[in-house]
Amino acid sequence: MIVDAFIVLFGVLALVFAGIVLVARQPMRAALALVAHMTSLAAIFACLDVHVIALFQVLIYVGAVMVFMVYTIMLLDDRDLAYRKRFSATLVPGVAVAVVTGLALLRVLGPAGPGAPTTTTGLGPFSFSAFSAAFMTRYWLHFELATVLLLAGIVAAWAVIREER
Amino acid sequence: MMPDLLVHGLYIAYVLGFLLGLATIFTWVERKQSAVMADRIGANRAYLRIPFTQVKLVWWGLFHGIADGLKMIFKENFTPATYDRFCYNLAPWLASVPVLLVFAVVPFGGEVTPGRFFEPGSAAAEFFGDRSWRMQIAALDAGILFVLAISGVGILGTMLAGWSSNNKFSMLGAARAASQMISYEVAMGLALIAVVVTYGTVDLNDMVLWQQQAAWGILVQPVAFLLFLTASIAENKRIPFDLPECESELISGYFTEYTSMKMGLFLLSEFIEIVVISALVVTLFLGGYTLPFLRPEGFVLPGGATWELSHFAVVVLQVLTFTAKVFVVGCFQIGIRWTLPRFRYDQLMDLGWKFLLPLAALNLVVTAVVRWWTL
Repeated sequence: MIVDAFIVLFGVLALVFAGIVLVARQPMRAALALVAHMTSLAAIFACLDVHVIALFQVLIYVGAVMVFMVYTIMLLDDRDLAYRKRFSATLVPGVAVAVVTGLALLRVLGPAGPGAPTTTTGLGPFSFSAFSAAFMTRYWLHFELATVLLLAGIVAAWAVIREER
Repeated sequence: MMPDLLVHGLYIAYVLGFLLGLATIFTWVERKQSAVMADRIGANRAYLRIPFTQVKLVWWGLFHGIADGLKMIFKENFTPATYDRFCYNLAPWLASVPVLLVFAVVPFGGEVTPGRFFEPGSAAAEFFGDRSWRMQIAALDAGILFVLAISGVGILGTMLAGWSSNNKFSMLGAARAASQMISYEVAMGLALIAVVVTYGTVDLNDMVLWQQQAAWGILVQPVAFLLFLTASIAENKRIPFDLPECESELISGYFTEYTSMKMGLFLLSEFIEIVVISALVVTLFLGGYTLPFLRPEGFVLPGGATWELSHFAVVVLQVLTFTAKVFVVGCFQIGIRWTLPRFRYDQLMDLGWKFLLPLAALNLVVTAVVRWWTL
Protein backbone atom coordinates (compact mmCIF):
# COMPACT_ATOMS: atom_id res chain seq x y z
CA MET A 1 0.00 0.00 0.00
CA ILE A 2 2.70 2.50 1.05
CA VAL A 3 4.95 1.29 -1.77
CA ASP A 4 2.13 1.82 -4.29
CA ALA A 5 1.65 5.35 -2.97
CA PHE A 6 5.36 6.07 -3.39
CA ILE A 7 5.33 4.68 -6.94
CA VAL A 8 2.42 6.96 -7.83
CA LEU A 9 4.16 9.93 -6.17
CA PHE A 10 7.46 9.39 -8.01
CA GLY A 11 5.60 8.63 -11.25
CA VAL A 12 3.81 12.00 -11.03
CA LEU A 13 7.09 13.72 -10.18
CA ALA A 14 8.80 12.04 -13.16
CA LEU A 15 6.04 13.30 -15.48
CA VAL A 16 6.15 16.82 -14.04
CA PHE A 17 9.94 17.06 -14.38
CA ALA A 18 9.81 15.60 -17.90
CA GLY A 19 7.32 18.34 -18.77
CA ILE A 20 9.66 20.97 -17.31
CA VAL A 21 12.51 19.60 -19.45
CA LEU A 22 10.37 20.30 -22.52
CA VAL A 23 9.17 23.78 -21.59
CA ALA A 24 12.08 25.26 -19.61
CA ARG A 25 13.81 27.97 -21.64
CA GLN A 26 16.99 28.17 -19.60
CA PRO A 27 19.31 25.25 -20.53
CA MET A 28 20.58 24.75 -16.95
CA ARG A 29 17.03 24.58 -15.60
CA ALA A 30 16.12 22.00 -18.26
CA ALA A 31 19.20 19.94 -17.35
CA LEU A 32 18.35 20.07 -13.63
CA ALA A 33 14.77 19.02 -14.40
CA LEU A 34 16.19 16.08 -16.35
CA VAL A 35 18.32 15.16 -13.34
CA ALA A 36 15.21 15.26 -11.13
CA HIS A 37 13.32 13.17 -13.71
CA MET A 38 16.07 10.52 -13.76
CA THR A 39 16.15 10.48 -9.96
CA SER A 40 12.37 10.00 -9.85
CA LEU A 41 12.68 7.05 -12.24
CA ALA A 42 15.41 5.59 -10.01
CA ALA A 43 13.09 5.99 -7.01
CA ILE A 44 10.36 4.05 -8.88
CA PHE A 45 12.85 1.22 -9.57
CA ALA A 46 13.89 1.26 -5.90
CA CYS A 47 10.22 0.99 -4.85
CA LEU A 48 9.92 -2.05 -7.12
CA ASP A 49 12.88 -3.64 -5.24
CA VAL A 50 15.21 -3.60 -8.26
CA HIS A 51 17.92 -1.64 -6.45
CA VAL A 52 20.63 -2.41 -9.01
CA ILE A 53 18.64 -0.86 -11.86
CA ALA A 54 17.86 2.15 -9.65
CA LEU A 55 21.54 2.58 -8.84
CA PHE A 56 22.60 2.23 -12.48
CA GLN A 57 19.97 4.84 -13.35
CA VAL A 58 21.63 7.29 -10.96
CA LEU A 59 25.20 6.18 -11.66
CA ILE A 60 25.02 6.35 -15.45
CA TYR A 61 22.42 9.00 -16.20
CA VAL A 62 22.74 11.41 -13.27
CA GLY A 63 26.36 10.80 -12.25
CA ALA A 64 27.86 10.56 -15.73
CA VAL A 65 25.65 11.73 -18.60
CA MET A 66 24.03 14.68 -16.80
CA VAL A 67 27.30 15.78 -15.21
CA PHE A 68 28.77 16.17 -18.69
CA MET A 69 25.65 17.99 -19.88
CA VAL A 70 25.81 20.41 -16.95
CA TYR A 71 29.54 20.86 -17.60
CA THR A 72 28.83 21.79 -21.20
CA ILE A 73 26.01 24.18 -20.27
CA MET A 74 28.30 25.73 -17.65
CA LEU A 75 30.76 26.63 -20.39
CA LEU A 76 28.14 28.12 -22.75
CA ASP A 77 28.37 31.82 -23.46
CA ASP A 78 25.95 33.44 -21.01
CA ARG A 79 25.44 36.37 -23.41
CA ASP A 80 23.86 34.01 -25.95
CA LEU A 81 20.15 34.55 -25.38
CA ALA A 82 18.96 32.34 -28.24
CA TYR A 83 17.08 30.16 -25.78
CA ARG A 84 14.73 33.05 -25.03
CA LYS A 85 13.16 32.83 -28.50
CA ARG A 86 9.50 32.14 -28.01
CA PHE A 87 8.91 29.63 -30.81
CA SER A 88 11.16 27.19 -32.56
CA ALA A 89 10.86 26.11 -36.19
CA THR A 90 10.88 22.50 -35.02
CA LEU A 91 7.88 23.00 -32.71
CA VAL A 92 5.29 21.54 -35.10
CA PRO A 93 7.19 18.33 -36.03
CA GLY A 94 8.17 17.99 -32.34
CA VAL A 95 4.56 18.10 -31.16
CA ALA A 96 3.54 15.72 -33.98
CA VAL A 97 6.21 13.18 -32.96
CA ALA A 98 5.16 13.48 -29.29
CA VAL A 99 1.50 12.82 -30.15
CA VAL A 100 2.36 9.83 -32.38
CA THR A 101 4.66 8.39 -29.69
CA GLY A 102 1.95 8.82 -27.06
CA LEU A 103 -0.64 7.07 -29.22
CA ALA A 104 1.81 4.23 -29.99
CA LEU A 105 2.54 3.75 -26.27
CA LEU A 106 -1.20 3.75 -25.54
CA ARG A 107 -1.69 1.11 -28.23
CA VAL A 108 1.13 -1.12 -26.94
CA LEU A 109 0.75 -0.65 -23.20
CA GLY A 110 -3.02 -0.09 -23.08
CA PRO A 111 -5.34 -2.58 -21.38
CA ALA A 112 -5.69 -4.71 -24.52
CA GLY A 113 -2.22 -4.15 -25.98
CA PRO A 114 0.48 -6.81 -26.33
CA GLY A 115 2.63 -5.08 -23.71
CA ALA A 116 -0.10 -4.82 -21.10
CA PRO A 117 1.22 -5.49 -17.60
CA THR A 118 0.84 -9.07 -16.49
CA THR A 119 0.95 -10.49 -13.01
CA THR A 120 4.44 -11.15 -11.67
CA THR A 121 3.39 -14.09 -9.52
CA GLY A 122 5.94 -16.88 -9.75
CA LEU A 123 8.93 -14.62 -10.37
CA GLY A 124 11.67 -14.88 -7.79
CA PRO A 125 13.12 -11.86 -5.97
CA PHE A 126 15.64 -9.75 -7.88
CA SER A 127 19.23 -10.88 -7.47
CA PHE A 128 22.36 -9.13 -8.67
CA SER A 129 24.05 -12.32 -9.92
CA ALA A 130 20.98 -13.46 -11.90
CA PHE A 131 20.69 -9.99 -13.43
CA SER A 132 24.41 -9.99 -14.39
CA ALA A 133 24.19 -13.46 -15.93
CA ALA A 134 21.08 -12.58 -17.97
CA PHE A 135 22.60 -9.29 -19.07
CA MET A 136 25.85 -10.86 -20.30
CA THR A 137 24.16 -13.79 -22.06
CA ARG A 138 20.70 -12.85 -23.36
CA TYR A 139 20.60 -9.07 -23.54
CA TRP A 140 24.07 -7.85 -24.43
CA LEU A 141 23.31 -7.71 -28.17
CA HIS A 142 20.15 -5.65 -27.53
CA PHE A 143 22.17 -3.36 -25.31
CA GLU A 144 24.84 -2.86 -27.96
CA LEU A 145 22.19 -2.25 -30.62
CA ALA A 146 20.71 0.49 -28.42
CA THR A 147 24.02 2.34 -28.68
CA VAL A 148 23.38 2.69 -32.42
CA LEU A 149 20.30 4.75 -31.48
CA LEU A 150 22.50 6.96 -29.31
CA LEU A 151 24.90 7.41 -32.22
CA ALA A 152 21.98 8.38 -34.46
CA GLY A 153 20.92 10.93 -31.83
CA ILE A 154 24.39 12.45 -31.71
CA VAL A 155 24.54 12.70 -35.52
CA ALA A 156 21.08 14.31 -35.54
CA ALA A 157 22.12 16.87 -32.91
CA TRP A 158 25.26 17.67 -34.86
CA ALA A 159 23.23 18.09 -38.07
CA VAL A 160 20.80 20.49 -36.34
CA ILE A 161 23.66 22.63 -35.03
CA ARG A 162 25.30 22.72 -38.49
CA GLU A 163 22.02 23.79 -40.06
CA GLU A 164 21.48 26.64 -37.59
CA ARG A 165 24.94 28.01 -38.30
CA MET B 1 6.60 -2.53 10.97
CA MET B 2 6.91 -0.42 14.15
CA PRO B 3 10.14 -2.10 15.36
CA ASP B 4 11.60 -1.53 11.88
CA LEU B 5 10.67 2.14 11.98
CA LEU B 6 12.06 2.58 15.47
CA VAL B 7 15.35 0.77 14.78
CA HIS B 8 16.01 2.55 11.50
CA GLY B 9 14.96 5.89 13.00
CA LEU B 10 17.52 5.35 15.75
CA TYR B 11 20.15 4.36 13.16
CA ILE B 12 19.53 7.55 11.17
CA ALA B 13 19.71 9.72 14.31
CA TYR B 14 22.92 7.98 15.40
CA VAL B 15 24.57 8.30 11.97
CA LEU B 16 23.68 12.00 11.69
CA GLY B 17 25.12 12.61 15.16
CA PHE B 18 28.18 10.51 14.33
CA LEU B 19 28.89 12.33 11.04
CA LEU B 20 28.26 15.85 12.30
CA GLY B 21 29.99 15.24 15.65
CA LEU B 22 33.09 13.67 14.16
CA ALA B 23 33.25 16.31 11.40
CA THR B 24 33.20 19.04 14.07
CA ILE B 25 35.93 17.27 16.01
CA PHE B 26 38.00 17.00 12.81
CA THR B 27 37.90 20.80 12.42
CA TRP B 28 39.58 20.96 15.84
CA VAL B 29 42.01 18.16 14.92
CA GLU B 30 43.00 20.07 11.78
CA ARG B 31 43.80 23.21 13.77
CA LYS B 32 45.67 21.34 16.48
CA GLN B 33 47.72 19.32 13.97
CA SER B 34 48.77 22.49 12.15
CA ALA B 35 49.64 24.05 15.50
CA VAL B 36 51.75 21.08 16.56
CA MET B 37 53.56 21.08 13.21
CA ALA B 38 54.22 24.83 13.45
CA ASP B 39 55.22 24.65 17.13
CA ARG B 40 52.18 26.67 18.28
CA ILE B 41 49.52 25.99 20.93
CA GLY B 42 46.56 26.15 18.55
CA ALA B 43 42.88 26.74 19.16
CA ASN B 44 42.33 27.01 22.92
CA ARG B 45 40.19 30.13 23.51
CA ALA B 46 36.58 29.03 23.12
CA TYR B 47 34.95 27.81 26.33
CA LEU B 48 31.57 27.10 27.88
CA ARG B 49 30.83 28.74 31.24
CA ILE B 50 28.56 26.85 33.60
CA PRO B 51 25.62 29.23 34.24
CA PHE B 52 25.74 31.28 37.49
CA THR B 53 29.31 30.16 38.21
CA GLN B 54 32.76 31.22 37.11
CA VAL B 55 33.64 27.66 36.07
CA LYS B 56 34.85 27.66 32.45
CA LEU B 57 35.01 24.43 30.47
CA VAL B 58 37.87 24.83 28.00
CA TRP B 59 38.59 21.17 27.21
CA TRP B 60 41.64 21.81 25.02
CA GLY B 61 39.65 24.13 22.75
CA LEU B 62 37.18 21.48 21.63
CA PHE B 63 34.36 24.05 21.67
CA HIS B 64 35.90 25.97 18.78
CA GLY B 65 33.85 23.83 16.40
CA ILE B 66 30.63 24.98 18.08
CA ALA B 67 31.85 28.60 18.01
CA ASP B 68 32.57 28.27 14.28
CA GLY B 69 29.09 26.88 13.62
CA LEU B 70 27.40 29.68 15.59
CA LYS B 71 29.49 32.28 13.75
CA MET B 72 28.38 30.85 10.40
CA ILE B 73 24.71 30.83 11.43
CA PHE B 74 24.67 34.44 12.66
CA LYS B 75 26.69 36.00 9.82
CA GLU B 76 24.95 38.18 7.21
CA ASN B 77 23.55 36.06 4.39
CA PHE B 78 24.90 38.16 1.53
CA THR B 79 23.96 37.06 -1.98
CA PRO B 80 25.51 38.45 -5.15
CA ALA B 81 23.56 39.60 -8.21
CA THR B 82 23.52 36.17 -9.76
CA TYR B 83 21.83 35.32 -13.01
CA ASP B 84 20.29 32.20 -11.51
CA ARG B 85 19.29 32.59 -7.89
CA PHE B 86 17.52 29.20 -7.82
CA CYS B 87 20.70 27.33 -8.77
CA TYR B 88 22.75 29.51 -6.40
CA ASN B 89 20.56 28.46 -3.46
CA LEU B 90 20.30 24.83 -4.57
CA ALA B 91 24.06 24.27 -4.99
CA PRO B 92 25.11 24.01 -1.29
CA TRP B 93 22.43 21.36 -0.71
CA LEU B 94 23.38 19.39 -3.82
CA ALA B 95 26.99 19.42 -2.61
CA SER B 96 26.30 18.40 0.99
CA VAL B 97 23.31 16.02 0.96
CA PRO B 98 24.95 13.30 -1.23
CA VAL B 99 27.89 13.20 1.19
CA LEU B 100 25.48 12.34 4.01
CA LEU B 101 23.56 9.85 1.85
CA VAL B 102 26.65 7.78 1.00
CA PHE B 103 26.96 6.72 4.63
CA ALA B 104 23.53 5.02 4.45
CA VAL B 105 25.06 1.78 3.14
CA VAL B 106 28.11 1.71 5.43
CA PRO B 107 27.80 -0.92 8.19
CA PHE B 108 28.87 0.63 11.51
CA GLY B 109 28.36 -2.56 13.52
CA GLY B 110 27.37 -6.21 13.19
CA GLU B 111 23.92 -7.64 13.83
CA VAL B 112 21.95 -6.32 16.75
CA THR B 113 19.06 -8.09 18.52
CA PRO B 114 17.43 -5.34 20.64
CA GLY B 115 15.16 -7.84 22.40
CA ARG B 116 18.24 -9.27 24.17
CA PHE B 117 18.99 -5.88 25.78
CA PHE B 118 15.91 -6.18 28.00
CA GLU B 119 14.62 -8.56 30.65
CA PRO B 120 12.94 -11.60 29.01
CA GLY B 121 9.18 -11.19 29.16
CA SER B 122 9.32 -7.41 29.57
CA ALA B 123 7.21 -5.21 27.29
CA ALA B 124 10.30 -3.97 25.42
CA ALA B 125 11.57 -7.50 24.82
CA GLU B 126 8.12 -8.51 23.56
CA PHE B 127 8.01 -5.45 21.28
CA PHE B 128 11.28 -6.33 19.51
CA GLY B 129 10.91 -10.11 19.76
CA ASP B 130 13.96 -12.11 18.65
CA ARG B 131 14.44 -10.23 15.39
CA SER B 132 17.91 -9.04 14.39
CA TRP B 133 18.88 -5.99 12.36
CA ARG B 134 22.16 -5.18 10.64
CA MET B 135 23.69 -1.96 11.95
CA GLN B 136 23.36 -0.24 8.59
CA ILE B 137 20.67 2.23 7.51
CA ALA B 138 20.11 0.64 4.09
CA ALA B 139 21.25 -2.97 3.76
CA LEU B 140 21.49 -2.94 -0.04
CA ASP B 141 22.93 -5.92 -1.87
CA ALA B 142 24.71 -3.53 -4.25
CA GLY B 143 26.10 -1.16 -1.62
CA ILE B 144 29.30 -0.32 -3.47
CA LEU B 145 27.28 0.82 -6.51
CA PHE B 146 25.30 3.11 -4.20
CA VAL B 147 28.56 4.69 -3.04
CA LEU B 148 29.69 5.34 -6.62
CA ALA B 149 26.25 6.52 -7.79
CA ILE B 150 25.58 8.99 -5.00
CA SER B 151 29.12 10.37 -4.74
CA GLY B 152 28.88 11.28 -8.43
CA VAL B 153 25.87 13.52 -7.77
CA GLY B 154 27.88 15.84 -5.49
CA ILE B 155 29.81 17.16 -8.51
CA LEU B 156 26.60 18.83 -9.72
CA GLY B 157 26.47 21.01 -6.59
CA THR B 158 30.04 22.19 -7.07
CA MET B 159 29.47 23.03 -10.73
CA LEU B 160 26.18 24.81 -10.03
CA ALA B 161 27.80 26.89 -7.26
CA GLY B 162 30.55 28.14 -9.56
CA TRP B 163 28.28 28.71 -12.53
CA SER B 164 25.47 30.52 -10.71
CA SER B 165 27.78 32.85 -8.73
CA ASN B 166 28.46 35.10 -11.74
CA ASN B 167 32.11 35.39 -10.80
CA LYS B 168 35.14 34.40 -12.88
CA PHE B 169 37.01 32.94 -9.90
CA SER B 170 33.99 30.82 -8.98
CA MET B 171 33.59 29.69 -12.58
CA LEU B 172 37.26 28.70 -12.84
CA GLY B 173 37.01 26.86 -9.52
CA ALA B 174 33.92 24.98 -10.69
CA ALA B 175 35.58 23.99 -13.98
CA ARG B 176 38.64 22.80 -12.10
CA ALA B 177 36.55 20.92 -9.53
CA ALA B 178 34.46 19.16 -12.14
CA SER B 179 37.49 18.13 -14.23
CA GLN B 180 39.33 16.91 -11.16
CA MET B 181 36.43 14.99 -9.66
CA ILE B 182 35.52 13.31 -12.95
CA SER B 183 39.19 12.39 -13.59
CA TYR B 184 39.78 10.80 -10.22
CA GLU B 185 36.40 9.07 -10.12
CA VAL B 186 37.59 6.80 -12.95
CA ALA B 187 40.64 5.60 -11.01
CA MET B 188 38.55 5.22 -7.85
CA GLY B 189 35.96 3.12 -9.71
CA LEU B 190 38.61 0.81 -11.15
CA ALA B 191 40.22 0.40 -7.72
CA LEU B 192 36.83 -0.54 -6.30
CA ILE B 193 36.21 -3.07 -9.08
CA ALA B 194 39.47 -4.81 -8.10
CA VAL B 195 38.18 -4.94 -4.52
CA VAL B 196 34.86 -6.37 -5.71
CA VAL B 197 36.67 -9.04 -7.75
CA THR B 198 38.73 -10.00 -4.68
CA TYR B 199 35.83 -10.21 -2.23
CA GLY B 200 33.36 -11.63 -4.76
CA THR B 201 30.54 -9.40 -3.53
CA VAL B 202 29.21 -5.86 -3.89
CA ASP B 203 27.55 -5.87 -0.45
CA LEU B 204 29.61 -3.80 2.02
CA ASN B 205 28.59 -5.93 5.02
CA ASP B 206 29.63 -9.12 3.21
CA MET B 207 32.97 -7.45 2.45
CA VAL B 208 33.52 -6.85 6.17
CA LEU B 209 32.64 -10.48 6.96
CA TRP B 210 35.02 -11.68 4.19
CA GLN B 211 37.84 -9.71 5.83
CA GLN B 212 36.95 -11.17 9.22
CA GLN B 213 37.27 -14.68 7.80
CA ALA B 214 40.36 -14.14 5.61
CA ALA B 215 42.47 -11.00 6.02
CA TRP B 216 42.07 -7.23 6.00
CA GLY B 217 41.73 -5.72 2.53
CA ILE B 218 44.82 -3.57 3.00
CA LEU B 219 46.88 -6.81 3.02
CA VAL B 220 45.23 -8.47 0.00
CA GLN B 221 44.67 -5.29 -2.04
CA PRO B 222 47.39 -2.80 -0.98
CA VAL B 223 47.50 -1.08 -4.38
CA ALA B 224 43.72 -0.63 -4.43
CA PHE B 225 43.96 0.84 -0.90
CA LEU B 226 46.51 3.46 -2.00
CA LEU B 227 44.56 4.22 -5.18
CA PHE B 228 41.25 4.54 -3.35
CA LEU B 229 42.66 6.76 -0.59
CA THR B 230 44.45 9.04 -3.08
CA ALA B 231 41.47 9.31 -5.41
CA SER B 232 39.12 9.93 -2.47
CA ILE B 233 41.23 12.80 -1.12
CA ALA B 234 41.29 14.24 -4.65
CA GLU B 235 37.49 13.86 -4.83
CA ASN B 236 37.23 15.78 -1.57
CA LYS B 237 39.31 18.60 -3.10
CA ARG B 238 41.67 18.87 -0.14
CA ILE B 239 45.38 19.67 -0.14
CA PRO B 240 47.39 18.56 -2.14
CA PHE B 241 44.42 18.44 -4.53
CA ASP B 242 42.70 21.69 -3.52
CA LEU B 243 43.11 23.54 -6.82
CA PRO B 244 39.35 24.24 -7.14
CA GLU B 245 39.46 26.41 -4.03
CA CYS B 246 43.11 27.40 -3.63
CA GLU B 247 43.13 30.79 -1.93
CA SER B 248 46.32 32.07 -3.58
CA GLU B 249 44.81 31.79 -7.06
CA LEU B 250 41.01 31.73 -6.82
CA ILE B 251 40.13 33.38 -3.45
CA SER B 252 37.87 30.46 -2.41
CA GLY B 253 37.13 29.01 -5.83
CA TYR B 254 33.63 27.80 -6.53
CA PHE B 255 32.20 29.08 -3.21
CA THR B 256 33.85 32.53 -3.26
CA GLU B 257 30.44 34.25 -3.48
CA TYR B 258 28.89 32.27 -0.62
CA THR B 259 28.60 33.55 2.94
CA SER B 260 27.03 32.53 6.23
CA MET B 261 25.61 29.00 6.57
CA LYS B 262 25.62 28.41 2.80
CA MET B 263 29.40 28.64 2.89
CA GLY B 264 29.23 26.67 6.13
CA LEU B 265 27.49 23.84 4.25
CA PHE B 266 30.35 23.65 1.74
CA LEU B 267 32.95 23.67 4.52
CA LEU B 268 31.05 21.22 6.71
CA SER B 269 30.45 18.84 3.80
CA GLU B 270 34.23 18.77 3.25
CA PHE B 271 34.78 17.58 6.82
CA ILE B 272 31.82 15.18 6.68
CA GLU B 273 33.40 13.76 3.54
CA ILE B 274 36.60 13.11 5.52
CA VAL B 275 34.49 11.00 7.90
CA VAL B 276 32.71 9.22 5.03
CA ILE B 277 35.97 8.49 3.17
CA SER B 278 37.50 7.19 6.40
CA ALA B 279 34.43 5.01 6.98
CA LEU B 280 34.69 3.58 3.46
CA VAL B 281 38.44 2.95 3.83
CA VAL B 282 37.79 1.21 7.14
CA THR B 283 34.96 -0.87 5.67
CA LEU B 284 36.77 -1.84 2.47
CA PHE B 285 40.34 -2.27 3.69
CA LEU B 286 40.59 -2.27 7.50
CA GLY B 287 38.07 -4.89 8.55
CA GLY B 288 35.17 -2.50 9.22
CA TYR B 289 33.63 -2.87 12.66
CA THR B 290 35.39 -6.17 13.40
CA LEU B 291 38.10 -6.70 16.01
CA PRO B 292 40.49 -9.66 15.85
CA PHE B 293 39.00 -12.65 17.73
CA LEU B 294 35.73 -10.80 18.51
CA ARG B 295 32.74 -13.01 17.66
CA PRO B 296 29.03 -12.61 18.48
CA GLU B 297 29.50 -14.64 21.69
CA GLY B 298 32.62 -12.73 22.86
CA PHE B 299 36.37 -13.05 22.34
CA VAL B 300 37.34 -16.47 20.93
CA LEU B 301 41.13 -16.72 21.20
CA PRO B 302 43.36 -19.17 19.27
CA GLY B 303 43.54 -22.47 21.13
CA GLY B 304 39.86 -22.39 22.07
CA ALA B 305 40.00 -20.04 25.06
CA THR B 306 36.82 -17.97 25.20
CA TRP B 307 35.98 -14.74 27.01
CA GLU B 308 32.21 -14.55 26.90
CA LEU B 309 30.58 -11.15 26.62
CA SER B 310 26.96 -10.04 26.73
CA HIS B 311 25.26 -9.16 23.44
CA PHE B 312 25.15 -5.51 24.50
CA ALA B 313 28.92 -5.45 25.20
CA VAL B 314 29.68 -7.01 21.79
CA VAL B 315 27.50 -4.43 20.01
CA VAL B 316 29.12 -1.54 21.90
CA LEU B 317 32.62 -2.92 21.18
CA GLN B 318 31.86 -3.18 17.46
CA VAL B 319 30.53 0.38 17.29
CA LEU B 320 33.51 1.73 19.27
CA THR B 321 35.97 -0.22 17.09
CA PHE B 322 34.45 1.28 13.95
CA THR B 323 34.52 4.80 15.44
CA ALA B 324 38.13 4.49 16.57
CA LYS B 325 39.29 3.20 13.17
CA VAL B 326 37.42 6.02 11.39
CA PHE B 327 38.99 8.58 13.73
CA VAL B 328 42.53 7.30 13.10
CA VAL B 329 42.10 7.25 9.30
CA GLY B 330 40.55 10.74 9.42
CA CYS B 331 43.53 12.06 11.43
CA PHE B 332 45.83 10.47 8.83
CA GLN B 333 44.00 12.32 6.04
CA ILE B 334 44.37 15.60 7.91
CA GLY B 335 48.05 14.79 8.46
CA ILE B 336 48.44 14.54 4.67
CA ARG B 337 46.78 17.97 4.36
CA TRP B 338 49.48 19.54 6.55
CA THR B 339 52.38 17.60 5.02
CA LEU B 340 52.18 17.79 1.24
CA PRO B 341 52.35 20.94 -0.91
CA ARG B 342 49.70 21.72 -3.52
CA PHE B 343 50.12 20.25 -7.01
CA ARG B 344 50.19 22.35 -10.14
CA TYR B 345 47.14 21.72 -12.32
CA ASP B 346 49.09 19.87 -15.02
CA GLN B 347 50.72 17.70 -12.34
CA LEU B 348 47.29 16.95 -10.89
CA MET B 349 45.91 15.83 -14.24
CA ASP B 350 49.08 13.87 -15.06
CA LEU B 351 48.83 12.03 -11.75
CA GLY B 352 45.20 11.15 -12.35
CA TRP B 353 45.30 10.10 -16.00
CA LYS B 354 48.89 9.00 -16.58
CA PHE B 355 49.70 7.32 -13.28
CA LEU B 356 46.66 6.39 -11.17
CA LEU B 357 44.43 5.24 -14.04
CA PRO B 358 47.00 2.90 -15.69
CA LEU B 359 47.99 1.62 -12.25
CA ALA B 360 44.34 0.95 -11.37
CA ALA B 361 43.81 -0.85 -14.69
CA LEU B 362 46.95 -2.94 -14.16
CA ASN B 363 45.86 -3.77 -10.61
CA LEU B 364 42.49 -4.89 -11.93
CA VAL B 365 44.07 -7.14 -14.57
CA VAL B 366 46.45 -8.71 -12.03
CA THR B 367 43.57 -9.18 -9.56
CA ALA B 368 41.42 -10.81 -12.25
CA VAL B 369 44.24 -13.19 -13.25
CA VAL B 370 44.97 -14.14 -9.62
CA ARG B 371 41.26 -14.63 -8.94
CA TRP B 372 40.97 -16.76 -12.07
CA TRP B 373 43.73 -19.08 -10.86
CA THR B 374 42.56 -19.26 -7.26
CA LEU B 375 38.87 -19.88 -7.96
